[in-house]
Amino acid sequence: MKSILIIGLVSLLGFAGAAHGGVTILPETISLKGAEGRQTLLVQETEGEVFTGAVDGVKWLSSDSAVAEVIDGVVIAKGDGKATLTAESEKGRATREVTVTGHGGEFAWSFNRHVLPILTRQGCNMGACHGAVAGKGEFRLSLRGYDPPGDFYTMTRQAKGRRIEMGAPARSLLLTKPTMATPHKGGKRLDVESREYRILSQWIAAGAVAPDGAEPAIARIEVSPDLSVLKKGDRQRLLVTAVYEDGSTLDVTDWAKFASADETIALVDEDGGVEIIGNGEGAVSALYSSKVALARFRSPFPNRIPDDVFSKAPRANFIDELVLAQLEELQLMPSGRSSDEDFIRRAFLDTIGTLPTLEETTAFLSDERPDKRAKLIDSLFEREAFVDYWAYRWSDVFLVNGQILRPDAVKAYYEWVRAGVAANLPWDEMARQVVTAKGESLENGETNFYAVHQDPETMAENVSQAFLSLSIGCAKCHDHPLEKWTNDQYYAFANIFSRVRAKGWGGDARNGDGVRTLYVEPRGDLMQPRTGKPQAPAPLDGDVIDPASPEDRREALADWLTDPENPFFARSITNRVWAAYFGRGLVDPVDDLRASNPASNEPLLDALSAHLVENEFDLKTLMRTILTSETYQRSSEVLSENRDDTKYYSRYYPRRLMAEVLHDAITDVTATPAVFDKVALNDGSFQETKFYEEGTRALELYDSAVKSYFLKTFGRNERQITCECERSSQPSMIQVLHLANGDTLNEKLARKDGVIDGMLKAGMSDGQMVENAYLKTLSRRPNEREAGELVAMMKGLNPEERRLAMEDLFWGLMTSREFLFQH
Amino acid sequence: MFDFLNEDSGPLCGSKRSRREFLTVGALGPIGLSLPQFLSAKQRSPMKGDDTKSCIMIFNLGGPSHIDLWDMKPDAPSEIRGPFKPIRTKSNAFEVSEILPMHAKVADKFSLIRSCHHDGAAVHDAGWQIMQTGRRFTGGVETPHAGAVASYLMNPRNDLPPFVVLPELMGRGGGNLPNGQAGGFLGKSQDPFSLMADPSKPDFKVPDLLPPDQFGASRLDRRRRMRDVVDQTVKGFEESEDARLLDEHFHSAFRLMTSEKARAAFDLSQEPDSVRERYGMNRVGQCMLLSRRLIESGVRFVTVNTFLTVFNELSWDIHGSKPFISVKQMQELVAPMYDQAYSALLEDLHQRGMLDDVLVAGVSEFGRTPKINPAGGRDHWPQCFTCSFAGGGVKGGEVVGKSDPIGGFPAERPVEPGDIVATIFHALGFDLETHLPGPSGRPFPIVDFGKEPVRELFA
Repeated sequence: MKSILIIGLVSLLGFAGAAHGGVTILPETISLKGAEGRQTLLVQETEGEVFTGAVDGVKWLSSDSAVAEVIDGVVIAKGDGKATLTAESEKGRATREVTVTGHGGEFAWSFNRHVLPILTRQGCNMGACHGAVAGKGEFRLSLRGYDPPGDFYTMTRQAKGRRIEMGAPARSLLLTKPTMATPHKGGKRLDVESREYRILSQWIAAGAVAPDGAEPAIARIEVSPDLSVLKKGDRQRLLVTAVYEDGSTLDVTDWAKFASADETIALVDEDGGVEIIGNGEGAVSALYSSKVALARFRSPFPNRIPDDVFSKAPRANFIDELVLAQLEELQLMPSGRSSDEDFIRRAFLDTIGTLPTLEETTAFLSDERPDKRAKLIDSLFEREAFVDYWAYRWSDVFLVNGQILRPDAVKAYYEWVRAGVAANLPWDEMARQVVTAKGESLENGETNFYAVHQDPETMAENVSQAFLSLSIGCAKCHDHPLEKWTNDQYYAFANIFSRVRAKGWGGDARNGDGVRTLYVEPRGDLMQPRTGKPQAPAPLDGDVIDPASPEDRREALADWLTDPENPFFARSITNRVWAAYFGRGLVDPVDDLRASNPASNEPLLDALSAHLVENEFDLKTLMRTILTSETYQRSSEVLSENRDDTKYYSRYYPRRLMAEVLHDAITDVTATPAVFDKVALNDGSFQETKFYEEGTRALELYDSAVKSYFLKTFGRNERQITCECERSSQPSMIQVLHLANGDTLNEKLARKDGVIDGMLKAGMSDGQMVENAYLKTLSRRPNEREAGELVAMMKGLNPEERRLAMEDLFWGLMTSREFLFQH
Repeated sequence: MFDFLNEDSGPLCGSKRSRREFLTVGALGPIGLSLPQFLSAKQRSPMKGDDTKSCIMIFNLGGPSHIDLWDMKPDAPSEIRGPFKPIRTKSNAFEVSEILPMHAKVADKFSLIRSCHHDGAAVHDAGWQIMQTGRRFTGGVETPHAGAVASYLMNPRNDLPPFVVLPELMGRGGGNLPNGQAGGFLGKSQDPFSLMADPSKPDFKVPDLLPPDQFGASRLDRRRRMRDVVDQTVKGFEESEDARLLDEHFHSAFRLMTSEKARAAFDLSQEPDSVRERYGMNRVGQCMLLSRRLIESGVRFVTVNTFLTVFNELSWDIHGSKPFISVKQMQELVAPMYDQAYSALLEDLHQRGMLDDVLVAGVSEFGRTPKINPAGGRDHWPQCFTCSFAGGGVKGGEVVGKSDPIGGFPAERPVEPGDIVATIFHALGFDLETHLPGPSGRPFPIVDFGKEPVRELFA
């Protein structure tokens, strides 16, 4: 948080025109190893902790040219020792220390450090070429080099050793093919004059030395500059430095793979050249040897907002501090506070999935206590509907699905979820119960998590998706192409579940009565297919679990998972809750929490996650903090200075109500109960169910397979995989046609003894009926224009027509965006 | 080429005006629909492309086995050539599998590209997006379906939606990726109209297309006027894409509801039984027939999803083990259904004189492994597969490209997804240099640089 404040301060100074900057040399650590050590340098302007663009026309000086020299912006190792580099420019002067080691010693190109990265960068081992499962032209490499020993064997031993000619490197197929000296279907990939060619040929000439197990492993990569403030149209070069466990560094810019997290803000080319094309906060990820690092870019919107807008903006808690800090950096104007009418509707719908009744609305509007919003929020948490709503949402995450599970199992599973919400079980405890679930499936409903997908690989993927929002599926076949997860880590993780068994599993999950008893075998392992041996079990990047121990490996997994130090667990659930309240996760999409997909406001997600950990994973506390923030209570009104904001929360973003909430809102307003009596099976047939008595609300359904045209059309989550993406809030023409012509709304409005008959019986005037209808549907009173026009349309009608006009009035209200949307 | 940037009527800024226009229009007519070309005012003009051309994209979901269907390898070892034999066709250039006998009889009307391949993951949804949009989604940018591009660049012909998906959008593919059947960065207003019903069902109708019977015009009018009163008091909605879109859908829905032509287009009961039976009384057949009716009535682009998901349902996904399907199921159920429907469509379009103007593109997410797997099926294989093209100026009876002796890789003239989409655009008469307003208003070419139509296909 401290750095944010500093950055905020700096940008203030920046706008005041104060010259508070300097210049600096990047990268910050330069520790060259061996005779070939070299590193490209950048000279950047700085303001505080951020970089503000590259400096041209630099003159370089080295304090000791026997140690290092700079030629064309590249520092080259000359001998062991330390030297200080100085960059002189019109913008100022900067220095940076360089260390050179191992220069005099024997130097050899390393297979892991140099040879393989070259093949990766030239695209030799990509999926379309030799990285394909079947290879190409009988030459098969591991995809993007995830299996160095295997690749070394393929290159040096297969094809009768013709790929490598140590006596005459230039005749090696490894060099003649990519240079097109011999025909190569993949085209020309390497120039004979290039440094890459020289490295490969020297490596071959030196005896094609095998990957050395004792070689220091890569510890991390660094991208510089890591945070830049730039304008639309600016360009910036990136450097990627690998840092090894012995502290040495290697310039791997040429061999890294770059990707932009948001191509509406920044574009990046394959050499790490970035172009800023939009406004907001963008990020570019660099991937090298299964390590990921991010360079962030801030491009303020072209507004000039007076400083006191931010200093005077109300703050309820740290959310507001952090959101306002970012809005100020990005020059976005916060919208004003929502009206009481908007707030009560919004808080109800987001917290309990239910519209406030007419009585609740009018009581709140006339309440004059200054803390009435906080009181309202507290009261919502105590309601039964709170339990229904969140049990439903978490059932999406846990895949409570009657197409996969038997009815009684579905019920038991759901009841476990609901009991957890009702008892306000901390999220880490929910997670622990699911992950370590054991016993009989109707008694211990949570065991059904494992009945949904019964193989260790899918169990691992589902745990990862549900609790870490990480999609690790790619790593099943090869190292993850965008992430740090390796193929070995995948199998280590999946091996945790290799001993999970249940009596009665296998076959069609829908056969039988759904009674299964889950137990854990004391032995057994999952093979890593690449090696044909079990991978020692470990939770993703956690510690290895003793493979010989007969203990349930999932206990160690649960410890790792719910450890407050686990960077993903708290972030994942925090982001899910945030997304439920704002319609958009800080990380978007919510099921894609990978390092290369940063949050729109990272400090905020960090602070919220820390807040959740401090409060021992109590979700209600997190929700209360969100609901009471001024950020949540902001109006959805658009200002000209925040029109283009879609993810920094300068205003509340309207969104369509979720399918079930909309369904229940229509049922509540019309005072007509719904009937759910069939469950859709996989083969398209339906089965009767007696679980749901008349009047059951959509949010009370156990199961996403209950037949409902309305819910399907409005995009409920079908719960086949853990993904919010399974839920659609997108309006479609079919939805509109259904509202306009379909039976849901029309039948309910025409129904005897529904809302309209109630009003007619009460003998209300046209004006009273209009006001009542507004309060029931939109949680506000009509304005003068609306009341006038609508009452005029109902004037002079006979009783029969008056009733129809009332139906039409409700239809008009309930097909309006103000009704269909949360705002 | 960049003229959209100078217009104030693009999707990025045009809709602000539309609501007010709509209100004006609503006040004019008895039920507000007296200006039939209402929407065209806010469409871009002049339209791009050839107004006479249309496209039916048949998406063969699951990934048909090219080696068992269109690119047989009778001389390969048995674990590659599989159980089926090739048969002669009306074309001198190619044979097809014995499980596609009706294809053989219309082989003079379609051509094959046997050297399609892509470098996306061998996952269904990855192939769906790459084959329908011509690109893989990166950096959060979702590129539009070819039909969405057509719908964006060409004005609607009438009240029917310009881009329709039958019978509904693709379901789950297992890879958790967007399926490419959407408007992508062009905005949701270019999303297809998805039918959400099975036209082979006896009681088939477009769900909720018509208001309840007892509603007269004056009642509909009152509903709309009342809705307008309410919907005028909105804040912030014009900046929400979803909210804008809902508004547009209301306009479109009202036009659709009240258009005789639109209703007739969806009414399969107007077809003689003999025609319906020729297509096959199943979902695939009736969707193909409906696609012809829709194109005839003015829809510009129809995508027929032959199947909807690969899990526990029929599809082309012949892994040979559950929940997928077996080679036997393909032979007995899937191939005959497709054979009948596809041949019926080509014959029907031909007999009606529509074939020259309607491109029929048969594509899939990938082909299948040359080697038969231990379960007796074949697995995913994007490295080489076959696509078919007919009509819309395409010569029939030809083969473009060639696969290697086991159908593993293209041996001649490799064709990529971008080229397939470029071929569709070429047939619709688009200049491939046309740019779309991409993310951040950045000009985005309709196909990536270097992608070319497969010109040999065209007469």
